[in-house]
Amino acid sequence: MTALAGVDEIRVPVESDQDIVAARQKGRALAARLGFSSSDATMVATAISELARNIVLYAGRGEMCFHLESHGADPILVIRACDNGEGIADVRQALQDGYSTSGRLGVGLPGVKRLMDEFAISSVVGRGTVVVVKKWKQQ
Amino acid sequence: MGPRAVLQDQFTKALETHLTQGGEAALLSAYELGRTVLNERLGVLDVATLLQAALLAACQRRPRESVRTVQASADFVRECLSSFEMAHRAVREANTALRGLNELLEEQTRRISHELHDEAGQLLASVYLALDDIARDLPAPAAARVQSVKTLLDEIEVELRRLSHELRPTVLDDLGLMPALDLLAQSVSARTGLWVKIEGPRDDRFPSVVETVLYRIVQEALTNVGKHAQASAVTVVVRREARRVCCSVRDDGVGFDPGTAARSTGRGIGLIGIRERLAPLGGALSIDAAPGSGTELRVAIPL
Repeated sequence: MTALAGVDEIRVPVESDQDIVAARQKGRALAARLGFSSSDATMVATAISELARNIVLYAGRGEMCFHLESHGADPILVIRACDNGEGIADVRQALQDGYSTSGRLGVGLPGVKRLMDEFAISSVVGRGTVVVVKKWKQQ
Repeated sequence: MGPRAVLQDQFTKALETHLTQGGEAALLSAYELGRTVLNERLGVLDVATLLQAALLAACQRRPRESVRTVQASADFVRECLSSFEMAHRAVREANTALRGLNELLEEQTRRISHELHDEAGQLLASVYLALDDIARDLPAPAAARVQSVKTLLDEIEVELRRLSHELRPTVLDDLGLMPALDLLAQSVSARTGLWVKIEGPRDDRFPSVVETVLYRIVQEALTNVGKHAQASAVTVVVRREARRVCCSVRDDGVGFDPGTAARSTGRGIGLIGIRERLAPLGGALSIDAAPGSGTELRVAIPL
């Protein structure tokens, strides 16, 4: 895949609203490079917003990383959000709608899960949280 | 400025920033604005209205560049609506879950109904045989008491049959909706004295999940009529249309004010149940009721 050539992992430190903008910018540029549709690119930006906002709100600081994978000929955009914050005591609850204090129906982590094609989360109380999401290019 | 005017001002300014400066920060503001609107429990039509007014203002400021302005607003519009896409997906997911839950519930009901009918019926038959066996060895007065136990058992058997039937009439699986409604009508008439008329296509079958939901809704509606309507007659009509099946339940009772009476009489609870059954099938419910002129409940389910 030529689209994948020469793309190393891109890292964006996240601790302010400006960083959220920077993270969205990187994600959107990668989505454009892979030829994602406008709708998919918007969903990628939304997922980045929600994940980065969680880092700023709950952990104070963290990092978002972007890289590309492929499944056969299909390119996949991989986004990893990690922090060394307090962690989430009850991950299952955090994935239910209406749990987050910053959002209502469908937004926050459950919203991200629905916008992306793959979603994985790992959190240890006192150690931090890692969320990995993937978006496949729609053919 | 009222809250609406403040929001409008924010949309208009954010779009202006997007058009004049571009960049990711302006798109993030668009996303945050949409999210705020969602959090304030406004709807997607409100966003459409706010966006349209912002776009109109932007075009009026650039009278010769309207087309270019609309083109340049595409990302902004998508960002404003993206949180609604999340909410939309949440509702779709919840509907699918509700549908699965309904099917599970129906399956369990079916199983319990069959076990009541078959297993408990078998056991009762064995008890009858055992009692006959005992009665043969007993003197006449004691045998008469055994007979009275058998009479009680007869009542239990009738009750079990009735329960099993109410849980899940086998006729619904075997013969379909209309024969099942006929039986339901007979049983409601016998219990309440209501005159129940069933009209519909006798030899037509609908998808199993649709038949089950319609049966449950008519059952609930007839229970409501029996409890609240003080009616003497009810007509149930099932009708197949081009792409949907419609069903109405009309009574000649006292009617009610759907706005107020529903909550105070508990009649609303049955209606909530009906709505929940319809939702996963994309069905719709409407009620015509007014004090003194009967009630008509209508449902439509797309096929």
